[in-house]
Amino acid sequence: MTENKKSFWGDLREKLTGDDMFHDNEVNANRLGSLILLVSGILLGIIIILTVIGVFPLPLESVLSPSIQAIVEILILLILCRIAKNDAWWLKYVLMIGLVLVYARLDSMLTHKVSILMVLPVVFSSRYFSRNLTRFTAILSTVAFFFSAVWGAMHGFINLNIVTMEKGTEMIATGGFIGETVRNAGVSDGMLIMNTLLYDYIPRWMMFSITAIISSNIVSRGREMIISQHEKDVKTARIEYELNLANAIQADMLPNIYPAFPDRSEFDIFATMDPAKEVGGDFYDFFLIDDDHLCMVIADVSGKGVPAALFMMASKIIIANNAKMNKSPAQILTDTNEAICSNNREEMFVTVWLGILEISTGKLTAANAGHEYPVFFSPGEKYALFKDKHGFVIGGMRGIKYTEYETVLEPGSKIFLYTDGLPEATDAEGKMFGAERMLEALNGSLSCNPVSTLDNVKLSVDSFVKQAEQFDDLTMLCFEYKGKTNK
Amino acid sequence: MLTINKSSENNKAVLSLAGRLDTVTAPDFDKTVREVIPGITELELDLKKLEYISSAGLRVLLTAQKIMNTQGTMSVCNVNETVMEIFDVTGFSDILTIKN
Repeated sequence: MTENKKSFWGDLREKLTGDDMFHDNEVNANRLGSLILLVSGILLGIIIILTVIGVFPLPLESVLSPSIQAIVEILILLILCRIAKNDAWWLKYVLMIGLVLVYARLDSMLTHKVSILMVLPVVFSSRYFSRNLTRFTAILSTVAFFFSAVWGAMHGFINLNIVTMEKGTEMIATGGFIGETVRNAGVSDGMLIMNTLLYDYIPRWMMFSITAIISSNIVSRGREMIISQHEKDVKTARIEYELNLANAIQADMLPNIYPAFPDRSEFDIFATMDPAKEVGGDFYDFFLIDDDHLCMVIADVSGKGVPAALFMMASKIIIANNAKMNKSPAQILTDTNEAICSNNREEMFVTVWLGILEISTGKLTAANAGHEYPVFFSPGEKYALFKDKHGFVIGGMRGIKYTEYETVLEPGSKIFLYTDGLPEATDAEGKMFGAERMLEALNGSLSCNPVSTLDNVKLSVDSFVKQAEQFDDLTMLCFEYKGKTNK
Repeated sequence: MLTINKSSENNKAVLSLAGRLDTVTAPDFDKTVREVIPGITELELDLKKLEYISSAGLRVLLTAQKIMNTQGTMSVCNVNETVMEIFDVTGFSDILTIKN
């Protein structure tokens, strides 16, 4: 059904069939309807065969004509299902009418032997979770089986328990079933019909009404469940959409176009962030404060997911704003801590390493607020943890004074920064990647530029954790100082 | 997995932690701390069997420390090497009272 076709008939269809969320269910129910018809047809075929070969000692003509009628009707219904591909709003009504008629026809032939047939259509109708359809089927069954009871009293398999006779009536057996003898004894059709209705149809209808009540309840409850499931699905889809958007916004907040400084030949920098969930609490940042000063930041917010991401966004902006005011690293962290602590009742905190490099001289000033040790590499040596002095995490407590340290980078030096997601990456057995393996991976990439250094470390982590789920955000930054080059 | 054992007498409560205190288990620990803390003047955390603590766990420690600052004292004891390293790196060793 396309949107533009939705005119009067489209509206009517919606009224009759319920909302689109029931559409898939309806197609499945129609498929079940086809299956029920097919099985009924096969069982009828078996009854005919058993009657023909004499296992069922019924008069062939009384079985053959209603059975064949029913089989033809089933074939027509199956063809309709086929044509409509089980997907048409009217199909369920046609199926219900067809099923009731087929079963009522059989009921009129075999009467009390197959009294259970009356409840089948209404039980099946509950599969559609449509109150209207179940009501419709219940009323239709009541009427159709009334007529089948009347017809059955006159022509069907007689129920001897309901036959009343005048005192002293004598009968001569005609052979075969006693029912035939009784009919031939001239009992009146009026008595048979009356007694069938009183002693067969009405008790049966009472049991039927209980089944109808149960089915109707299943319909209501099932309908509620489908609706609430649908609402949950819609909500989940919306949250998923929002998280994906949040992920994109977060990624856009970080410098992510490389080479980041195409016109600066004195250094090269590259960084990545892989959140464990859609959004993460890690971040990196780098920017030029002025022509000669590059600021580099790596940080990790406590916790994960949306709360960490919200806190991360605020932290990143506050740090960058402070850094751009030409403050020293220790002052930037001290002021950031005051700003964050003034509105932090949730006791969130963030660990930060922040360094400012004087590009012309290679002088690096850095401060560390509870973050992992940075890894430094000097030409001719190996990558090694730089056990710098640590202050308390940012956001934890007011009034913390951070300290900074200085070091001079030789041309060819590199800095590798990371969050705890790297050394604490865990494999399926719960073993951690660890600082040793991290340093090993770095020292295997001594001649690499920042991009391939991070690639190598990532490869090394991936081959360590294998199939295990990534548990924490993983963020890395690699900086290479080339020094003054002759242009 | 994290197991928390509570014991308390008078105004002192001791919580012994065993296992991992991370994003998954931190909410449990947070709940226990908030149940135990009202009215006590001394809180002791025994970390002898604590294998690992993540930032989410540190956050609960910080909350507890801040509450206890206003109503008494809090101490942390039997800190193993792994956890001590995390306390050192994050600067928590400066704000916690650690007794080994």
